[in-house]
Amino acid sequence: MKVSLLAGAALLLFTAGCNRLPGAPKAGVEEVPRPDSITSFKTLYGQNCAGCHGDNGRNGAAFALNNPVYQAWIDDASLRRIIENGEPGTQMPAFGTKAGGMLNDAQLDALVHGMRSEWSKSDAVSGQTLPPYAAAKTGDAAAGKAVYESACARCHSDAGNKITDPTYLALVNDQTLRTIIVAGRPDLGHPDWRSTASGHPLSDDDITNLTAWLASQRVSAPGQPYAEPQ
Amino acid sequence: MRWLTESYKWVERRVQLEAPVKDAMLHPVPKNTASWWYVFGSAAMTLLMLQVATGILLALIYVPSAGDAWNTLQLLNHEIPLGWFIRAMHGWGSNFMVAVVLIHMMQVFMFGAYKFPRELTWVVGVLLLLMTLGMAFTGQVLRFDQDAYWGLGIGASISSRVPIVGGPLVNLLLGGPIIGGATLTRFFALHVFVIPGALLAFVGLHVWMVLKLGVNEWPMPGRPVNRKTYDAEYHKLTHDDGIPFVPGALWKDLVFSAGIIVAVAVCAAIFGPYGPTGQPDPTIIQTAPKPDFFFLWIYAVLSYLPPSLETPFLLIAPVIGIGFLLVLPFWAGEGEKSWHRRPVAVIVLVTVAVLWGVFTHLATFTPWSPKMDAWSGSTVPAKIVHNLSPVERQGAVIFQSKQCRNCHSIGGVGGERGPALDNVASRMTEDQLIRQVIQGGGNMPAYGKNLAPSEVTALVRFLGTLHPAGQPAASDASRTAAAQFGAPSQTQSSSPTTSPQKTQ
Repeated sequence: MKVSLLAGAALLLFTAGCNRLPGAPKAGVEEVPRPDSITSFKTLYGQNCAGCHGDNGRNGAAFALNNPVYQAWIDDASLRRIIENGEPGTQMPAFGTKAGGMLNDAQLDALVHGMRSEWSKSDAVSGQTLPPYAAAKTGDAAAGKAVYESACARCHSDAGNKITDPTYLALVNDQTLRTIIVAGRPDLGHPDWRSTASGHPLSDDDITNLTAWLASQRVSAPGQPYAEPQ
Repeated sequence: MRWLTESYKWVERRVQLEAPVKDAMLHPVPKNTASWWYVFGSAAMTLLMLQVATGILLALIYVPSAGDAWNTLQLLNHEIPLGWFIRAMHGWGSNFMVAVVLIHMMQVFMFGAYKFPRELTWVVGVLLLLMTLGMAFTGQVLRFDQDAYWGLGIGASISSRVPIVGGPLVNLLLGGPIIGGATLTRFFALHVFVIPGALLAFVGLHVWMVLKLGVNEWPMPGRPVNRKTYDAEYHKLTHDDGIPFVPGALWKDLVFSAGIIVAVAVCAAIFGPYGPTGQPDPTIIQTAPKPDFFFLWIYAVLSYLPPSLETPFLLIAPVIGIGFLLVLPFWAGEGEKSWHRRPVAVIVLVTVAVLWGVFTHLATFTPWSPKMDAWSGSTVPAKIVHNLSPVERQGAVIFQSKQCRNCHSIGGVGGERGPALDNVASRMTEDQLIRQVIQGGGNMPAYGKNLAPSEVTALVRFLGTLHPAGQPAASDASRTAAAQFGAPSQTQSSSPTTSPQKTQ
């Protein structure tokens, strides 16, 4: 009798503890969810964006999205549009199903929402007024040259940081230039529009003119690997 | 207790099983076969019993319809108390069974136990192996998830390659031209009735022959099998120097079988049930289905074969392989049993085992297959990104966005289809990189038509940064010289292949 009681107790203990065994499937967790039902920001970002934009939105080859200035600057609609339809003239592809990508509306919303809640900060621009997201007018390239020389040339004239390389300019569009001037790359230690020039932030006009001048440096056949013969 | 004895006597008077069972239990076996090498057959049978028991429990819940199968597996995993454990036992039991059957077969082959008079025992054993693999495959299909769905598709497409009968064969297998409602019920019938029925019957025959012919004696070098004298020799061996099967030999079988069951339970408890992976929905293309481990080697072999050899291999290799196994005891039914005197057998076994292991290992990480989500999911290491110029950084973006990463790894992450590029600049010059990107070569496709010149240039500038610190990037000596001493003028240039652009 004693033996069977003991055995019964052991069995009861065993079965009670069973669902805590390492092999037990986790409750409520589908082993492999349908790809179109994933709406976790971390998963979506990790699978679709991290390759270019970096782990946690930093230190990637492409623009850093985990940048409070950028998050304060861009509106929801533009952010969603870029993810859904891509950015023409750059490497950013379209991810929305309507544009041939793999992400549905709920997933696009999850990405926008996730970036906002994870990476935006209320005091990102500390009281300063951000220039508008899109340039309102065509810039003056000649004036932009002056801005470049006073605000950018200091760092960007040496070979390792050259941004007037036609190959570089062929791979980014004007909005990308504007974005990087305004928001910078804090993860790489590159300043935003407030501290590029010494003493004062760049004005909307400065930025528009600067972008126009950089755009004017594009050439008709960019990307020639060898310099022109002498 | 009296009534128990009376009832036993009453039944025994009618079935008369006592004498044959006693006979079987006490029949003498050669002393040296009471060895730990002789336990795999009984372990395989024990695993079969485990599979039957857990299989019955699973069949109580499982619904073999395309719409419900996956959901009932979820139900087993999450709702039914210990349902997951039964699934895990059945899944791990199947792995162990395939493994133990293969080990048993290897042992029998090494010990020459297929030789006279046990030829038919071996042939039945080969059929049992095929049925075990059939159970494994049909079982994998019943776990109706993405792996099962595409595994079934591959199985059907292999069958379709059989000349003449290919089409009807697929129809028979799938219950139609495509995987549909009838498919799963067919596989359920195969897995639950047809194959197990045959399996149990053949196991009965196999064991019957083992009892009748006796357990194979431990092979001794210099004691070859001779059809004329073997029976007398074996009789002498068992009766002069034998021990009764029970308990002399059986206790090791029991201990080992118990150990195997414990091992299955431990694996089940720690690693849990197999899947189900994603839903078996052909519209989900973000999946890389893989067979279970016993078929991984086929997966690897087929991946490495050139397409033109696939059909011949699929149709001829199994015939040769199974044919060899079936013919073996008739072709080598006599002679030495000991591995000390059978070098060819040892070499064959070792070669097959090593090949099997290598292909199985390769199939676990599929180096031949691009990783389709590496471009968007695997980051360029931050350390590299920080040291790039704007053009090079754009090149890194091209590297990702044009999906180079799917075949080439950096920092150990990415595809393994092509070489890792961590140090590519130390082995290729800028010119060679440009040529490789534009024209392809080796196994790499040409990307010249898909990349603008600025994209190629930025990409190659990025690749040019990938060399170990302290080791310069590979450079073209003629270019260095030209830079140092000035370019030769056009008239002096004697090489017609040198373009003026390149000689500056």
